[in-house]
Amino acid sequence: MSSIILEARDLRYRYPRGLEAISGISFHIRKKEKIALVGPNGAGKSTLLMMFNGMILPDSGIILFDNETIRYDTASLRMLRKRVGFVLQNPDRQIIAPTVYQDVAFGPTNLGFNESGVKEAVTLALRHVGLEGFERRPPHQLSGGEKKRVAIAGVLAMDPDVLVLDEPTSGLDPSGSEDIMELLDELNHDGKTIIISTHDVELAYPWADRAILMLGGKILQEDIPEVAFGNPEYIRRAHLSLPTLLELHRELQNRGFLLQGKKPRTVLDMMHCFETLLKKTCCHVRPGAITICNVDRHDRELLLLWRSMHPTLSTGAMGTRAKQRAENEQMSLDFTYGVIDKCILKALLGEDSLILTTESMVSRVYQRVDTYGRESGIRIPVKQLDDGTQPVTENVGSVK
Amino acid sequence: MFEELLEDIAQKNGLREINTYLKLTAGLGAILLCLLSTSYLPPLFIAVVLTGAILFLARVDAKTYAELFIVPLWFALMSVAGIILITGGQDVFWSWDILPSFSLSITRESINQGIFVFCRVIGGMSAMCFIALTTPMTDIFIVFRQCRVPEVVIDLMMIIYRTIFILMDQVVQIYHAQVMRLGYSTWRESIYSFASLCGAAFIASWDAGEDLIRAMDARCYDGKFALLGETRPVERMSCLAVVIFLSLSTAIVIVSGNSTII
Repeated sequence: MSSIILEARDLRYRYPRGLEAISGISFHIRKKEKIALVGPNGAGKSTLLMMFNGMILPDSGIILFDNETIRYDTASLRMLRKRVGFVLQNPDRQIIAPTVYQDVAFGPTNLGFNESGVKEAVTLALRHVGLEGFERRPPHQLSGGEKKRVAIAGVLAMDPDVLVLDEPTSGLDPSGSEDIMELLDELNHDGKTIIISTHDVELAYPWADRAILMLGGKILQEDIPEVAFGNPEYIRRAHLSLPTLLELHRELQNRGFLLQGKKPRTVLDMMHCFETLLKKTCCHVRPGAITICNVDRHDRELLLLWRSMHPTLSTGAMGTRAKQRAENEQMSLDFTYGVIDKCILKALLGEDSLILTTESMVSRVYQRVDTYGRESGIRIPVKQLDDGTQPVTENVGSVK
Repeated sequence: MFEELLEDIAQKNGLREINTYLKLTAGLGAILLCLLSTSYLPPLFIAVVLTGAILFLARVDAKTYAELFIVPLWFALMSVAGIILITGGQDVFWSWDILPSFSLSITRESINQGIFVFCRVIGGMSAMCFIALTTPMTDIFIVFRQCRVPEVVIDLMMIIYRTIFILMDQVVQIYHAQVMRLGYSTWRESIYSFASLCGAAFIASWDAGEDLIRAMDARCYDGKFALLGETRPVERMSCLAVVIFLSLSTAIVIVSGNSTII
């Protein structure tokens, strides 16, 4: 387990008008964790989040950042806010400058970067969120999802260790929400701790490492999502709804089906449950292969050639730059969210698939497929994109 | 919204990539020449050239441009009518004595004066439109900073520019909400609705102001607003075009002298 980055000890906060928003909260968050704070409106989520970067001062209790108590003098707050980036719920309120470039540059400029440093930080941040070329656009011309990305880029430009997002998916369409969640995943993969507050149980459930259920300024439950979202009584009290997969799992159990293993978090897990339940695999004798195309390394011609040789292939893109690349090449994508799982599902049907992804995410594909292989005993071949002339040779076949 | 429309056109116009100083020189120079000229010809020439530039170089939709022009044109026509009737002169074409001490008349001088004023208005208008439609505010901020306008003023302008659109959005939303519930059905009702619209907009902007400070604080605000982007290089062709346009206009100002239409 990695070390603790944020810790709260018995936080209490009362609004000036006398309502107690936070009444005795203690918890800790480890480095590189993905935390989802869920609860009904008025549970104190936003108030709690605002305490993480010192925007709200608790009445009592302390917050530790990197094992040091937060101090509220100007210099310490500056340091804290550089390291804990906060993205407001409403991007219109977060974006303050008249152009995208200026807004993203706001943080670095105030941190005292020189001109080239600012430019570099802005370029990097915009690249991260997939908004290259938007520098001179005024924010009021952007769509909701794009504004959200600008807001995130504005915080990323300060290179924080912890990213706190208040309702990152509110007001976005489903695919926009998924894109944002994937972006957060990608950032987490790059080593950032991510804390979000949300009502969207379906999105938070597969995404989070840990979920914190809040109600009336207190923590109702704090655990891995399977447990935190698995208690119908708590879910009801917190005005949420059970994730569909968990509900399905519960209903199957209520009907006397013995489901082994852990509770399902993804469709893939659920498939695995069914397969063990029916004591047979739906998998073809020979699972399909997953090919990875690293958009940072593989060149365009190779990809196009490969695509033209496999025209019916299902394609997924993981990561912002990969998606952008696909858009540039006018490739239609079959999957843009939960790509690895969907490709594994395809492979189980005996179909091949292609994943476009970025340098840093390649290892993740291997990891996920490996983990799945260990759990299910089915080994799915994964290979990097080559010239495509020779057939798949490595790791072929299922080892049952 | 109209304001947004203008900005949108400016952000996407065909002359967007031309150096801001060149565009401002052309626009402001044209206005100056319109004011300096003593004949109706130079403003007319400027109006024709700049309208051509707006329609064919900046590729602004002709209908939008006409809509933009029609309101001030209407004002100009009414003022010109007034000028023609009231201004006196020797060469009287028509006159009507309404009161013993007051008469309306059309004279050679009044017609010349009216046409001169009218041409000046459309010349100036097209120059203003040229600037407004080809140069977005965001580019003008850069010029302000390079012209050493105090930082505080520019920062304020930028924040105001940004918040105008947000406030506008909110006002439109509140207005729609009122209309949907028949808020403007009677005269009495509309006064009441308008008052509450103003109140709500005030509260909304106050709220937004507090959020603005919070958003700036969360990103370590230290009194600095980001540096404004780069300026585009002066291209030889466009520079030449501006020089030719301005010198031609100046020449017409000098040559036309006091020439009048009749």
